[in-house]
Amino acid sequence: MSTTFNRFSGAVAAVALALFSLSCAPEAPNTQKGIEASLSCQCGCGLTVQTCNHLQCSFAIPVREDITKSLRNGEPGVEIIARYAEEYGEKVLSAPVREGFNLLAWYGPYVALFIAGIVVVLVIRRWTPERITAEAAKSEDPGQTGDHAISSDNRDRLREELEKYEP
Amino acid sequence: MITIGNLAVFLALIAAVYSIGASVYGGLKRRGDFIASGEHAAYTCHAMVVIATIVLLRALITHDFSIKYVASYTSSTLPLRFSIAALWGGMEGSLLFWALILTSMSSLVIFQNRERNRILMPFVTATCMTVGAFFLALLNTETPPFAQLAFVPTEGSDLNPLLQNYWMQIHPPALYLGYVTWTVPFGFAIAALATGRLDDLWIRTSRRWSLAAWFFLCCGNILGARWAYEVLGWGGYWAWDPVENAAFMPLLTGTAYLHSVMIQERKDMLKVWNMTLIILTFCLTIFGTFLTRSGVISSVHSFTQSGLGPYFLAFLAAVILGSTILTIRRLPELRPKHQLDSMLSRESAFLFNNLLLVGIAFATFWGTIFPVLSEWARGVKITVGPPFFNRVNAPLAIGLLFLMGVGPLIAWRRSSVDKLLKTFMTPTLIGIGVGVAAFFAGMRDVSAVLVVSFSSFVLYTIAYEFHRGATARVTMASQNYLAAMASLFTRNQRRYGGYVVHLGVVFIFIGVAMSSIYRVEEMHTVELGESFSIGPYTLRYDDIQDRSDDHMARMIATLTVFENGEEISQISPEKRFYRKPEQPATEVDFRTTWRDDLYVILGTIDPGKTATFQAYINPLVVWLWIGGLVIVLGTGICILPTRSARERERAREATIARNQERA
Repeated sequence: MSTTFNRFSGAVAAVALALFSLSCAPEAPNTQKGIEASLSCQCGCGLTVQTCNHLQCSFAIPVREDITKSLRNGEPGVEIIARYAEEYGEKVLSAPVREGFNLLAWYGPYVALFIAGIVVVLVIRRWTPERITAEAAKSEDPGQTGDHAISSDNRDRLREELEKYEP
Repeated sequence: MITIGNLAVFLALIAAVYSIGASVYGGLKRRGDFIASGEHAAYTCHAMVVIATIVLLRALITHDFSIKYVASYTSSTLPLRFSIAALWGGMEGSLLFWALILTSMSSLVIFQNRERNRILMPFVTATCMTVGAFFLALLNTETPPFAQLAFVPTEGSDLNPLLQNYWMQIHPPALYLGYVTWTVPFGFAIAALATGRLDDLWIRTSRRWSLAAWFFLCCGNILGARWAYEVLGWGGYWAWDPVENAAFMPLLTGTAYLHSVMIQERKDMLKVWNMTLIILTFCLTIFGTFLTRSGVISSVHSFTQSGLGPYFLAFLAAVILGSTILTIRRLPELRPKHQLDSMLSRESAFLFNNLLLVGIAFATFWGTIFPVLSEWARGVKITVGPPFFNRVNAPLAIGLLFLMGVGPLIAWRRSSVDKLLKTFMTPTLIGIGVGVAAFFAGMRDVSAVLVVSFSSFVLYTIAYEFHRGATARVTMASQNYLAAMASLFTRNQRRYGGYVVHLGVVFIFIGVAMSSIYRVEEMHTVELGESFSIGPYTLRYDDIQDRSDDHMARMIATLTVFENGEEISQISPEKRFYRKPEQPATEVDFRTTWRDDLYVILGTIDPGKTATFQAYINPLVVWLWIGGLVIVLGTGICILPTRSARERERAREATIARNQERA
């Protein structure tokens, strides 16, 4: 039981960690597209500077031109973004900066998911018969073992036969 | 006519309130006469709402500008189809339309169960009518659809140009159907809690309703994406706008619910969780309505700001409180009576699938409300846009895609590590092989490689499941392979229809991942006769035509598309200027193939001289729409009654009836 549980929990933790690391992968705001996507358009379209659908947008078009010029002049993407954040405030950033209170936005869902994941693993563990069987064995009450009296080989065979006819 | 409309809305409210009282009293006291009276009142409520809707539709079609709503959302030049669509184009009309769908669904479920589920039905009626009464109360007080203007204007303000599109005629109704239909399963859940009938009866009875609600909500989301793709003209289809999120969240929790109820049906477990999920799904549908109508969060989809926010919030709070109290009161009876056979089982996989689905819903909810939280806590306005949602949700979605492949292969009840290794060997090797091939073919984005790899893993598992099922049928029923394959859909429509839905979801994953990650975009200003290139395509600007009419001014450009020097098609993006309201709009044009979409927007025009074009190549985006169609097909298979399903249902009902007689 404990081996299966450990393997299972290990696999779950590995998958969770891999998923989490994907979300933490650093941005690459040094490209024109990357910087445009990092800035939120202020024309009221609700889109980013990159995706603003107003072809004569009074915000997105000059900003795109400025980004092109700034990149050509060797200004790093981070600085371009910081310049806009200073001028327009945090609302110009299309995603919250990863610091202070905003960390709640970025990591809140993962922390919640992690806690919920632990709860799910514990609930599954609590509901599985290995534990119940172990508890029953401890109390030496054969009546509680139920159908687990069937040997594991026979149980597997029975399940395979049943699965064959499931459709 | 206006008096009839007003009277109908008022009487509908009275009927709904009476229906709630009579149904609850009848249900508690087991008084058949009150139950019947409550149901008749619900039918009356429906009839009144139908009358009110007909009156408003008539006013919209005949351009009766004495009604404020008609003057605000139509004009005398608005085509008939958009005059009809104006019913859901504005606040008051959309709430009336909501009430129409809700009362129609209520009548349908009452009629469907006129001789069945008589213990549950009074509370189902009462729940549906409570929701209906809330909307009707708003229509009678805050948002009267038949409010009159002090003077009759000669012309109306017209429908928002963005809404003058055929997708507007089908996307909102589909979405509303999705939102509203969840009220019925929610009603059955409340009825189960109220009566203590906490077995899987309420789930089985409302199963088709849940599937229908899920189906409409899914269609609503996909049609909305299509509408954005064709109308908004930014080359994409999903912008993580708060209102889009509001429609997406109940779809996720609804999907979790549809999976977890299978465990309750099989094992009599997860009763509390299923109750939580259905309550959550229903609350999210109300939350979505709150978002669009409160003005709390800015959105391109919002209706004009109104004072409805506090009412929706109060209603939402009442629903959450009431449902929570009922659930807590029944907690001892909701405890599971059985155990999971093993940690390695399909049941466990379903629990993790639920975890990820609810996790994505939570992350989306969190991102949607975070600007409000930030302003409240720090006094600073921030934007939570697509980069946040993509970064947080993409890994969870990829995890979900992986689980979609694991689910079908892992056995119900119990599996073992050795058996899992044996079962998963081939699909894992296929997944890894495809991922490696994609990498060597030039795909360097981790998310893209993972989506391609996991998609092939899932596709194999689906194909394997069909093959396994068909082979078993060949052995058991001596059918040929193809007939056996077809019979799977009639013999176990739920399971195999579900796999078809999974297939659709895989297509959507591929379409979304490839079109978002590998999109190419360019802007060019060219003179007539000049060409520009994007990807493998060359576009020649051939013509610009003025096709204006009374309703709008239109300039249509014609571009000839070449690929490898060969002419393959023409593309005609246009620019419009609506006369009422005076508003410009773009009408994109695109050429779709299995490989990619060439998507062109007409920008500035200097007639006879130059024009600016924004062009995109969206790789594999067609698979997003194909995925949507496959989901429609799969859900149809799950919902539609087949002969064998009807026979099984009859046998089941007969058994229940026998058991009840014995009891």
